[in-house]
Amino acid sequence: MAATDKSPLTKGYQPVTWNFKLLAHDMLAGFGGMGEGMSVQIAPDGRRIIWLAHESAPKNFTAVDVSDPRRPHVVCQTDLPHANMRSNSLETCGNMMAVAYQTSKKDLQPAGFELFDISKPENPKSIGFFDCSGPHSRGVHQLWFCDGEYVHCASGSRDFVPTNALDDQFYRCVDVRNPSKPVEVGRWWMPGTRQGDNVMPPPRHPLDKGFRAHNTNVYPQRGDRCYLGYIDGGMFVLDISDKANPKKVSQWTNSPPYTGFMHTVVPLFDRGLMLVTDESTENNCKDWPKLIWVLDARAETNLVPIATCPMPDHTIYAAAGRFGAHNIHENVPLPTAWHSDQIVLGTFFNGGLRAYDIANPYQPKEVGIFMPPAPPGAPTGTIQLNDVFVDERGIVYTVDRQIGGLYILEMDF
Amino acid sequence: MLDLFPSREASPFGRRWKRERGARIPVTVVTGFLGAGKTTLIRRFLSSPEGAGTAVIVNEFGAVGIDDAILREAAEQTVLLGNGCICCVTRTDLQVALRRLIFDRERGAAPRFGRVVIETSGLADPAPILQTFSTDRALGGEFHIDVLLAVVDAVNGDAALDSAAEARKQVILADRLVISKTDLAAPAAAERLTRRLQRFNPRAAIDIAVAGALDPDRVIEPATSEHVGFLAEAEHGDGIASFVIEQEPPLEWPTFSRAMETLIALRGSDLLRVKGILNVSGCRGPVVVQYVQHLAHPPVELQAWPRSWPEADRTSRVVFITRNIAERQVRGLFAAVQALAKD
Repeated sequence: MAATDKSPLTKGYQPVTWNFKLLAHDMLAGFGGMGEGMSVQIAPDGRRIIWLAHESAPKNFTAVDVSDPRRPHVVCQTDLPHANMRSNSLETCGNMMAVAYQTSKKDLQPAGFELFDISKPENPKSIGFFDCSGPHSRGVHQLWFCDGEYVHCASGSRDFVPTNALDDQFYRCVDVRNPSKPVEVGRWWMPGTRQGDNVMPPPRHPLDKGFRAHNTNVYPQRGDRCYLGYIDGGMFVLDISDKANPKKVSQWTNSPPYTGFMHTVVPLFDRGLMLVTDESTENNCKDWPKLIWVLDARAETNLVPIATCPMPDHTIYAAAGRFGAHNIHENVPLPTAWHSDQIVLGTFFNGGLRAYDIANPYQPKEVGIFMPPAPPGAPTGTIQLNDVFVDERGIVYTVDRQIGGLYILEMDF
Repeated sequence: MLDLFPSREASPFGRRWKRERGARIPVTVVTGFLGAGKTTLIRRFLSSPEGAGTAVIVNEFGAVGIDDAILREAAEQTVLLGNGCICCVTRTDLQVALRRLIFDRERGAAPRFGRVVIETSGLADPAPILQTFSTDRALGGEFHIDVLLAVVDAVNGDAALDSAAEARKQVILADRLVISKTDLAAPAAAERLTRRLQRFNPRAAIDIAVAGALDPDRVIEPATSEHVGFLAEAEHGDGIASFVIEQEPPLEWPTFSRAMETLIALRGSDLLRVKGILNVSGCRGPVVVQYVQHLAHPPVELQAWPRSWPEADRTSRVVFITRNIAERQVRGLFAAVQALAKD
């Protein structure tokens, strides 16, 4: 199918479904602008519920019954208290869910994260809140919550004064074993980003997106490590064996010459590999290329980039919206998540969802593409796939950032 | 790479694939003697929903462009290979054409096709075409032959089989046979042809297509999914024989691969086609192997046995189509290698 006459896209841009099978598409009751929080719960009554974060107000989160992946249906959709905030990230663990709250300006409320009892998916019950607001803080952008005990998050804090206003969010570890009284147990920030540090602030990158934390992944295979994306600061491996006192183990960055915004770090423990993603944040390929990088991580203090997942020529994608890497399936350490160290699935905005075989990590090979037509009303006239999650059955869920909601797929390779 | 970056998830053969072709582009090769109805069959397929997104490669022998002109309107991309037979002088053209299709697709110059149908010339020997797709160095990394189909027409097919060794070979090597023009032939003649084709190739299912009307799935459904393809045996003319070697207990991969290496080293040129689905010791899914003359496809472990396979049947089966190699010779070789391996 060629791009329509009304589409701003060039003729070469065509929707593609290659080695994926679309099982269902749900526009989520007209609120299909989705963020980067996707988590699957098996509810006490046996239903399989996927919890989805929204990209922006007015909605907080949406729960979809995907017990039959061909017939998804929304069971719960909640509102944010006001429009000057977003809840872009969430995770579930058993029947508990943590939702990140980030305000559009500093010193607004609520900024932090909220904990919910989701044992009745139709009626999530708030059971705790951790306040991260402050005169220099927008709250929590992203969180990781897989063990039922600690929330690892990218957050500001009342007592943290950044050297540059863009560097407000750093790594924080919060004990939520008593959900009604979450307690911070540790934090780490990139040296130079806090006023009073004894090192110089880092030199800014041209696009200047901030030296601040993004994904804060922690896996039971190495419970003493946090794999931290730090946007313009690259990525860090932290030693969190003493949660009160995280220490840097190693850092890797591709910028300069690239344009910053490192997003996610996923270690593939058995293989001594690491996947690192950038995020494309600019329309029309102004920050091209944004990539998924494969690192040789056998020596964790000397991370060596060995490949990137190949992407098509960007010119046909440059006409509208973002094109480039963003989220990948993170092998979340939960029984409801698929785990693979052979296949990488990532979302690339108008480049859709792409799957790569990394059996040979020096030569990742594209094995599947899902680039659906622009959903009705899409402001850019294209799809903008934002996040992906694969459940333990191998069912793939991917969401559109603008309006398209949830797409459910089967891998066919 | 598995030595440097080992994975507990991987099989000894790499990532387990959902199906034999993995992520590669599926290819249907349509053979058949001159005038058998190949173009009509392909044209009907292209007009079906299943035919959408198909690139067609046409190999004309002699009358340049006739079939190409008929197909060009229907297909996403039609490539006409030069004047010559695809199996000999234009095999390189085939490779170039397929590579160009991939290149054009990647840079957006060609529509994104998801399937290739190759129409061979009537005189084509399918074996060299199979070879083209067997290794990464050729095209095996990007494309995979799902179906090798031979069209035989009910009016002239009998005579073609009598007179032309190429026609017989097309039938013998095919995964699936299609009898065309049954509306123009006497019923008795069509029945006689069917019986004759069954004798030539009892492994291949036989379909009837009048004016190219054939269930599109029969053009694209992977042949490996058919249990029957690994069962029957036959003697053919021209020194060609086909037989099946079976083993019920799981087989040891080193033993099997050594036996095949020896066979290839000694008689590779006489192995016209070898295809196996193996129950390999230590593997979760079946391992699919293919050999064409001296070339071996990289073995693939599937995630599961084909759904159509009887659940209780996990016997390893290897179909051999050979020239002047007897079944007892191959059995003897396997037994000898196995005996030595046990020592």
